[in-house]
Amino acid sequence: MLVLALVMVLLVWNVVDQARPSISEFGVGFLTGTEWNAVTDKFGALDLICGTLATSLIALLIAVPIAIAIALFLTELAPAVLRTPVGMLVELLAAIPSVVLGLWGIVVMGPFLNDHVEPWMISHLGFIPFLDGYPSPVGLLPACLILTIMIVPIVASISRELLSSVPSDLKAGAMALGATRWEMVRRVALPQVGAGLVAGTMLGFARAVGEAIAVTQVIGGSLVRPQNLYAPADTMAGRLAAQYSGAATALQKASLAYLAVILLVISLITNLIANLIVRRMRRRLGTP
Amino acid sequence: MAPLVQSWAGAYVKTPAAVTVTYGAIGSGGGIDQITARTVDFGASDAPMTPDQATACKSCLQIPWALGGVSIEYNVKGVPNNLKLTGPVLADIYLGNISSWNDPAIAKLNPGVSLPSTHITPIYRSDGSGTSFVLTDYLSAVSPDWSSKVGASTQPTFPTGTGAEHSSGVIAAMQATDGAITYSEVSYVAADHLNAALIANAAGTYESPTEKSILAAAAVGTTRSDGTIKLVNPPAAAADAYPLSSYTYVIVPETSPKASVLKPFLDYAVGSTGQAFGPPVYPALPSAVASSAKALIAKIHS
Repeated sequence: MLVLALVMVLLVWNVVDQARPSISEFGVGFLTGTEWNAVTDKFGALDLICGTLATSLIALLIAVPIAIAIALFLTELAPAVLRTPVGMLVELLAAIPSVVLGLWGIVVMGPFLNDHVEPWMISHLGFIPFLDGYPSPVGLLPACLILTIMIVPIVASISRELLSSVPSDLKAGAMALGATRWEMVRRVALPQVGAGLVAGTMLGFARAVGEAIAVTQVIGGSLVRPQNLYAPADTMAGRLAAQYSGAATALQKASLAYLAVILLVISLITNLIANLIVRRMRRRLGTP
Repeated sequence: MAPLVQSWAGAYVKTPAAVTVTYGAIGSGGGIDQITARTVDFGASDAPMTPDQATACKSCLQIPWALGGVSIEYNVKGVPNNLKLTGPVLADIYLGNISSWNDPAIAKLNPGVSLPSTHITPIYRSDGSGTSFVLTDYLSAVSPDWSSKVGASTQPTFPTGTGAEHSSGVIAAMQATDGAITYSEVSYVAADHLNAALIANAAGTYESPTEKSILAAAAVGTTRSDGTIKLVNPPAAAADAYPLSSYTYVIVPETSPKASVLKPFLDYAVGSTGQAFGPPVYPALPSAVASSAKALIAKIHS
């Protein structure tokens, strides 16, 4: 335990140390700078921070309802024979290496989106800002969808465990009072585990924020801000993976380390909040 | 030029020296990083090291060891091989000023070719690459707009398009996208049967990267302050020169613990036996360059 903590401290110190030239050159302005240019040696992270938050939040928005629906199906609706195999299948999805998922994104999903989904979205939803443009096999949309696929199993398996921990006498009681199954889920089961669901969602968010490989494979590594949902963009983790090896200037290398510091801070905060919520909930439920 | 180094390595192990050379095509940027960290014995790059990289590498030599270039490939349904492009038009494509294949600027250069209205997707290297440097060094020379807005770098900030990692990545992305244009080291065109563009040189002649056109550019190279040689955008006097030619450099620390085995291998590579593996894709080094390379190799010591 002590060794782990020491490794953690050394790692953070090392990253901060590498980032130091950039921190002293750009300061807090790095967070709001939009230029990323190795020729003029000016670096700012705003577009990348936005790219990370946008892809992760859109992915969460799609993934959380699906994941909770899967969990409810498995705990409340599915016949007993289906529960184990379907539950295992969903968890297996989490076992797919992200590089393989990214490859599938390049070969199968990207071209499909480019040929069928995006042209339809452009002609039918193009009047909405940010949804007009040119189809592209790589870009924000494929990145969001790949992240969705990665988050669903995490959130689903946490939600399933939480929902199956709701005492059955509580559920039976609600049904005995005349609640329909849906009313029981909405009024009794979900409120019981609400905080846990939030924590599970945050763990999914932390996963999405830090994912580099699969996102790099499908997001299109754009160096400028995307003009629409289909256009190539980039995230902090993606930029770090693509440019760290072979950075042209010393300041660029330091700025990439600065991105790593920001990523560290975001995931530390997310995990801390998730942990606090879980701890509070455990105390309330009286489980150790 | 990874294929060339691999054929050197394959042949060199069978010579009396019998030394095994392992070479990974990880990109110029990665190569410079690894030689800087001394985790490898040599690195190779299509671009000269930036001042920061040279400082970090601590007295590293940049020795020209292969002659090649960058070709411009495209994938547009209905457009045949050998589309004609000029430097300024290429700059406008990568700047996003020209965004469809039937733009009058492209049509004017290609009378008789029916061009579709397909959207142009420029594809570029998202990792540090010598090919990006050769392309942007050329575009900076022929387009004031490019020079002021983007400039030359191994990792330039491309204002539009899609990024992909490594040569294999940009080629795959181009093949998957109708309307895509990209650039890579010359060997990929023949290996993957790609459509490549003819590029107009300063004399106004449209050239593809052949042994003859690359050698014509090498004949009029200019030496930079760091001793590397610039070949892009040769003067009009070289009427047959391919404007995106370049040397590839092997990067070696002057003090190398493996000097005694490394020097013979490098001598072999830049010598007549090694250079004979190159053509037609990689023309043999001009004799003046080969002898200056040998002089640099002689400086390496343990």
